[in-house]
Amino acid sequence: MTGPGIRAAFKSGLVAGLVLASVQCVLAQDKPWAETSAFLGQQVGQPEGNLDKAAMTRLIDIGEGLFASRFTVEDGAGRPHATQAIIPTKTGRRSVVGFARASGPDSNGCASCHNAPIVGGAGDFVTNVFLNEGFNQFDFQSTDPQFSNERGTNHIFGAGLIELLAREMTQDLQAIRTDALAKARSSGVDVRAGLVTKSVDFGAITASPDGIVGLDELDGVDTDLVIRPFSQKGVMTSLRQFTINAMNHHHGMQATERFGLRWTEEDDFDEDGHADELGAGDIAALVAWQASLPAPGQNTNDNADWANAAARGQVVFGALGCSSCHIEALPLRSLAFADPGPSDAAGTLSRAQVDTPAIYDLALLDWTKTLPRDDDGNILVPMFGDLKRHNMTDQTVDTLGNELMAQRFVDRTVFATTELWGVGSTAPYGHRNDFTTLDGIIQAHGGSARPARDAYLAAANQERDQLIAFLKSLVIENE
Amino acid sequence: MNSFLRGLGTPILLLLSTAVVGTADERFYADVPHMVEQAHAAGLEQTFGGPWEYFVGGGAASFDCNGDRMPDLLISGGENPATLFVNQSSAGGDLRFTKQPLGLSKEDIAKVTGAYPVNIDNDAHMDVVLLRLGQNIVLQGQGNCQFAKANTTFSLHGGDAWTTGFSAIWEPDMTFPTLAFGNYIDRSLPGSPWGTCHDNVLARPKTEAGAKPDYADPTVLTPGYCALSVMFTDWNNSGEPALRITNDRQYYRGGQEQLWQVTPDQMPKAYTAHDGWQQLTIWGMGIASTDLDGDGHPEYALTSMGDTMLQTLDDEAQEGQPAYRDIAFEAGTTAHRPYVGDDIKPSTGWHSQFADMNNDGLSDLFIAKGNVEAMPDFAKDDPDNLLMGRRSGRFSEQGVAAGISLPTKGRGGIVEDFNADGMLDLLVVNRQENVTLFRNQGAKTEFGHRPMGNWIKIELQNGPVNPQAIGALIQIKTGNHSQTHRVQIGGGHASGQTGFVHFGLGVAERASIRIQWPNGDWSQPYRAFANNHVIIKRDGSDPLYWYLPD
Repeated sequence: MTGPGIRAAFKSGLVAGLVLASVQCVLAQDKPWAETSAFLGQQVGQPEGNLDKAAMTRLIDIGEGLFASRFTVEDGAGRPHATQAIIPTKTGRRSVVGFARASGPDSNGCASCHNAPIVGGAGDFVTNVFLNEGFNQFDFQSTDPQFSNERGTNHIFGAGLIELLAREMTQDLQAIRTDALAKARSSGVDVRAGLVTKSVDFGAITASPDGIVGLDELDGVDTDLVIRPFSQKGVMTSLRQFTINAMNHHHGMQATERFGLRWTEEDDFDEDGHADELGAGDIAALVAWQASLPAPGQNTNDNADWANAAARGQVVFGALGCSSCHIEALPLRSLAFADPGPSDAAGTLSRAQVDTPAIYDLALLDWTKTLPRDDDGNILVPMFGDLKRHNMTDQTVDTLGNELMAQRFVDRTVFATTELWGVGSTAPYGHRNDFTTLDGIIQAHGGSARPARDAYLAAANQERDQLIAFLKSLVIENE
Repeated sequence: MNSFLRGLGTPILLLLSTAVVGTADERFYADVPHMVEQAHAAGLEQTFGGPWEYFVGGGAASFDCNGDRMPDLLISGGENPATLFVNQSSAGGDLRFTKQPLGLSKEDIAKVTGAYPVNIDNDAHMDVVLLRLGQNIVLQGQGNCQFAKANTTFSLHGGDAWTTGFSAIWEPDMTFPTLAFGNYIDRSLPGSPWGTCHDNVLARPKTEAGAKPDYADPTVLTPGYCALSVMFTDWNNSGEPALRITNDRQYYRGGQEQLWQVTPDQMPKAYTAHDGWQQLTIWGMGIASTDLDGDGHPEYALTSMGDTMLQTLDDEAQEGQPAYRDIAFEAGTTAHRPYVGDDIKPSTGWHSQFADMNNDGLSDLFIAKGNVEAMPDFAKDDPDNLLMGRRSGRFSEQGVAAGISLPTKGRGGIVEDFNADGMLDLLVVNRQENVTLFRNQGAKTEFGHRPMGNWIKIELQNGPVNPQAIGALIQIKTGNHSQTHRVQIGGGHASGQTGFVHFGLGVAERASIRIQWPNGDWSQPYRAFANNHVIIKRDGSDPLYWYLPD
C-alpha cells in the first residue's frame, strides 16, 4: 500500500498502526509496538541523481511514513534546551514541559494538523500555530497577538509544482537583473527593467552602469529576487527549508543539516539526549513525499447543477477581477524536481552543498499526466495564485490586518496570495483560519484586493452564488 | 633557559609549559576554508626585501582605485619598488591582477615599508599613504588607478623617519582626517639602534574650512618607543577615538605600550599609570581589534615575539580606566610557537586581523608569522596562523587544514574578498620572497568545494565628508547574535584596507543592520538578504544591492 492508502487510513483514525503495516515491504519492524517511528533513518543519506519510479516510490513512502509518524521522546521529539527559532537558539533554562501551545513543540506529528481532508491537507482552527521568531520572550509567548502571529494550517497538495514554479520564476527574475546590468554597463546609462515572469508583474528594477540595482519599484517579491512560495507570508524558499523549520518548531525534531555539529558544534543541540535526530535522508524523504502530492482538482460530484454553477462561477471569477492575483494557471517548463534546490541559503542543504542532487521526475507520477499543457508544451499548474505578496488591508477593510508583528521583513498587512486549489476541501479560511465561509473571506479582502472584493459585493446574488459554487469545486481529491 | 624566556616572566613560563593542554584537545567541527595559493597564477610578483631597515614593514594597501568596487592592491617592496596591481578577477573565479605603473619617480616608490588607503580629500578617488624609510608620501587618487604625489598639495612634509605605522580618523566637525604616523628607530642618533626610538607624529588638518587639506603643522607625540603599528580606536566607546601604539621592546629603553588620548582641540596626552594604564612591554608588531564579547568595548590582539596578547578591559579595574587583562591563554590565541614541525622555539608575529574566514558568524584571527631574519632563538620556519573562532569563545588553530602553513617570513597582510564570492581571501607580504595569495575556495569535500556559511558585505556612503565613514560602527543582528565592525584605517602591520566590510552570517539567511555613523548618530535598522553586497547611504531608506558582472 502506498500514499493514498495511508492518507485514507489516517482519515479513518487508524493511521499509526496502518502506516506501520502499510510499508512492511520497506521496513523491518522488530517490535511493532515500539514507541519510536519506524521510518526514521530508513533513508540513509541524501539521495543523488535521477531516481527511477521504484526508487522514488520507496522514498515517497518513507516520507509519508515520517509525515504521519507521531514522534516520541525516544525519537528525539522535544527540545528542552532549544527554541523554535529557525537559527539554532538555546533557551536560557531547561523547559519543564514537553509541549507548549504557543512556543511549541505543539504537536508530535505533521499529520496531526495537516489532515483535512486527508494527510497532507489543511487543518481546522484548532490546529492553528503561533509564530514568534523564538529568539527571545519565548518563555512568555502566548496566544496574544503581541507575542504571536496566529496562522492556520495550510494544505500542501501540489507543493512540488509550486516550488518548481517558484524556482523558474526566480531564475527568470534574476536573469532580467543580469541582463539589465549588462545593458547598463555596456550603454553607460541606467536601465529600467520590468520584472515580469509567467505573466506575474513584480514591478521593476533600475540597473546602473556601476553595478548597483535600485529596488524602489519592487512589488511583492524580496530584494534578492528570490520567489519564496511557502507560508502565508511567502517567506520560505523551499519544502526542504520549511520542513526543517517545522520539524524543530512543532516537534522538536532537529535536522543535522542546520542544528548539527557543522553549525552548532553540538550533535544534540536541544539537549534531549538524542543526537542527529533527522539526517539528510529523513529530510529528503519528507521533501520527496510533499513534492509528489498531487495537484488538487475540480470536482462537483457529478452534480449537474453544481457543475453548471461552477462553470459560470469560473467566468464570474475572472470578470470580477479575482484572477488578477488568483491566476488560474501558471506555465511550468519542467517537472524535474531537484532536491536540494538552487536557492536555499546555508542551514538548508542547497544545490551548491552537494555533489549531485536527487532528481525526482514528477512526470513519472500518474497524476501529472492529467495536467493540461499549453501550445509550447509547458505544464499548466492550476493553482489559482501568483506566488506574489500583496497588501491586504486599507482604511475601511482591515480585518486581515489583525497581526501585530511583521514576519521576516514582510509587513503585518502583507500576505502571499493563497493558492485556491483545494479551497473547497479546506475550510475554514484566511490566514488565521477564522472565516467559516468563503463569502466571509472574500469580503475581508482589502488593500490590493479591494477592487475585486467590491466588485463581488456589487455583483448580483446569482453571480456571487455561482462564484462560491466554483470555489467549492476546487477540491483535494480523496481517492 | 635563554634570555628570551627569562624576559617573559613567570606567567608566560607557565603558559609555555602547559600550552599543549590548552590547544590540542579540541576537535574543530565547523567548516575550514580551503585556501589555495595562487599568487603567481594571479599575476602577483612582488617581494619585500632589503637590509636591516626592511626586517620590519612589508605592508600592502587594498582599495578600489578604478571605481569597479573590486579591491586593488598596492604592495610595498622595501628596496624593491612598491607596485600597484589592478584586480581583474571575475565573480567567484580565479584571482587575477594586472600590474600597472604608479607613475611616480623611482625614488618615491622605493624604500616603501607599508601602505594605507585613506580618502584624505573626500573626493571620488581613494588616496594612499606610503610609509617609507624617509619621507612618507601621499598619493592623491586621480581615477582609473592614476595617482599624483600630493605632499605639497596637502602641505604634508612627510618627515624623514623610518615609518611603519599609520592610522587615520576624522575628528568631530573636521572636513579632513587626522593622520597618525608611527615611527621606528632613529638611526641618526648616537648608540642607534638601542634606545633611539623616533617620536611619533599626529598630523591634524588646519581647522579653517578650505578646499584642500593642510597638514603644515603636525604634532610630535613624544616619547616614542619604536612603534610598529598604530590604530585610532574607541576603546571606551566614548565616541572619541584614542591612539593605540604597539612598540618594539627590542630597541626601546624604559618604554612600554602606549595609548594616547586625542581630544579635539587639545594636545594629545598619553595615558599613564595614574589613569589606570598598565605597563606592558612586548615586541609589539601589529594590532587587530574587534569586539569579541559584544560588550561595546573592543578586544585587541597584539602580535609579538613569543605569545600574542589578547586584551580585554579588566572587569575589576576602575570604571573608565584603560586597564586590560590578557585572555589569550583562555581563548587559545597565544600562537606562541609553530603549530607544525618540531621547532619549539617561539614564534614571531606580525600582521594580525580579525575576520570571519568560514562565514560561521564568529570572528577568526589571522596572524602573519616569520623570523625577523635569522634570529636563532626564534622559530626558523614559522607558518602563519589561522585561529578559527568557536562558539565557546575559544579559538582553534586550523592553519594546516586551511593550507596556509607555509614556511614563509610573513609580514603584512590583507584579508579581503578579492573575487566577490563572499569568502575572504588572503594576501601575505613576505620578506625576501614573493607575496602569497590564497584564494578561499570554501570547504573542501570529496566532490570539490562547497560554500560555507551565509555572508553579507556592506559598503557605507557617509556623504561629502569622510565618504567611506571611517570611524562608523556597523552592527549586524541575526537572531540573538550580534556582530559589530568598526570601520578603521590603521593597525595590522603596515597594511590597511577600505571597501566592503564583510560579515559571516552562519545559517541566517537575512540580517538586520544598524549603523552608528562617524558623528555618533544611529541609523534606522536596515534589512538585507544574505549572500549579497549591499550599499547603505547615510539617510538612505533602503540598502542598495551591487553585482559584479558574471
